[in-house]
Amino acid sequence: MNGAAPALRTRATRAVLSLGVMAVVYGLAAEAGRGRLPDRVWLGTHYVENVQLLPPYRSLAEEGTFLVESGILTGSIAVSAGRVLLGFVLGAAAGILVGLWTGRRARAEYLAGPWVTFLQFTPALALLPLYVLWFGYGEISKVLLIATNVAVVALLGAHQGVRSVPRVYLDAASALGAGERLTFRKIVLPAALPHIFASLRIALGLAWVTIVVAELIDAQMPSLGYLLTLAGAYPRVPTMVIGIGTIGALVLAFDLLAMSLHVRATRWMRRAA
Amino acid sequence: MSSPAGAPIRLEAVDLGYTYAGATPTRALENLSLAVRDTEFLAVLGPVGCGKTTLLRILAGFLRPTTGSVRRDGAAVEGTSLQIGYVFQEDAVFPWMTVRDNVEFGLVARGADPAARRAVSDELIGLIGLSAFVSAYPKDLSAGMSKMVEVARVLATDPSILLLDEPFGALDAQTRARMQDELARLWERRRKTVVFVTHDAEEAIYLADRIVVLSSRPGRVRADFPVQLPRPRSQEARFSADFSALKRRVWEALG
Repeated sequence: MNGAAPALRTRATRAVLSLGVMAVVYGLAAEAGRGRLPDRVWLGTHYVENVQLLPPYRSLAEEGTFLVESGILTGSIAVSAGRVLLGFVLGAAAGILVGLWTGRRARAEYLAGPWVTFLQFTPALALLPLYVLWFGYGEISKVLLIATNVAVVALLGAHQGVRSVPRVYLDAASALGAGERLTFRKIVLPAALPHIFASLRIALGLAWVTIVVAELIDAQMPSLGYLLTLAGAYPRVPTMVIGIGTIGALVLAFDLLAMSLHVRATRWMRRAA
Repeated sequence: MSSPAGAPIRLEAVDLGYTYAGATPTRALENLSLAVRDTEFLAVLGPVGCGKTTLLRILAGFLRPTTGSVRRDGAAVEGTSLQIGYVFQEDAVFPWMTVRDNVEFGLVARGADPAARRAVSDELIGLIGLSAFVSAYPKDLSAGMSKMVEVARVLATDPSILLLDEPFGALDAQTRARMQDELARLWERRRKTVVFVTHDAEEAIYLADRIVVLSSRPGRVRADFPVQLPRPRSQEARFSADFSALKRRVWEALG
């Protein structure tokens, strides 16, 4: 009955293994590239000098030590993760509520449908200047930008979840005398839950994608987005690699958390080991 | 053996017709009339696709007939009713609820208090022999057990009319025979008016007081057989001469 926990552990082990293999391949490539890769790159208007296109682990370690000891990296993680979580929670709450509504009511679907399609494919970068004008140069714009992207995905998941509740469960509930509210609480919600969780996992990843863009607004240290922007401006490849690696690791950690919540909330589901 | 011949009519379909709209409209039922008496066990037998399920869904109030009318206790049927329990052809137990929560769902809908719900679910789950599985989820049950949970869930609210749509269609022959016995046993304890839809002649004869045979699409009543085998019926009854004789006549009516 407790088959879920080992399955999760196996997944985690496999993830570590596959990341480890990539890390080894990267290390080998970086060593092989030393002295062979060019160290100056033409950027259209000028050359940049002393570039490490594939920084070896030694450089990464030095850079990492500096970033951690100076408090830049840890501070950036805390600040950016805070924004991601806040934006995620706000966006998910709004998206799920609207999605449940549009899933249940045809009229709401007609109303919201075009906007969902519209926003789904509007890149965060395009909304950015508008949000800055509307909501100012502060935290609100950053958080709302993330929330917007999360909300659209969560809405689609909740909507799809409500729509895919098998007819027979609704008929059964109705035949057993369940009213609208009981049916919603005990049938529609739990049946939609797997869809909602799946969409939230995607939305969580998307929130981390958006943060890099969102932190272009009033770019300041500490923040992972600005750290990456700075690294690109110098350019400093070790900083980029560490920044990207940090965001990737955070996405993986959050995803693992989301997945274990999902498994816990849907113990009743039949699943393959 | 009960003889509901003089009993009042509980369910009555008059000149029922149903057409599924669409690019190629399908006439599922046409001029179908039948009456079910109080505490009668009626089997509706017909080939696959003859509109048996459509008929049952109309009797339950899930569908509105295109033509004709349905009367329950003399009054026109409007939507579903608490008087009617419906067992589906598909797997309809809620997979996110434990066996107990499934069985108690109808009582929750009626606002019964927890103690009363527990008493009913304890009794019914015991009756179907699943006391060891009260807190199990349906994924840990076999198909037959899961079907019995659904039957128990319907019985929990004590409806006076039971509509069953090929409830044992997806089971193997042995399990199916066992389920039929369980159902017959339950029915003998708590007499209900039953309409049991099936495409299995033997199942119909074994369970029913009366068998109505439908023609293939559009479905109408082709033959009507009383089943005069003594009750309670045992597996032995399946091999009796009367059983075989009736089976032959029913087979001939099926065409």
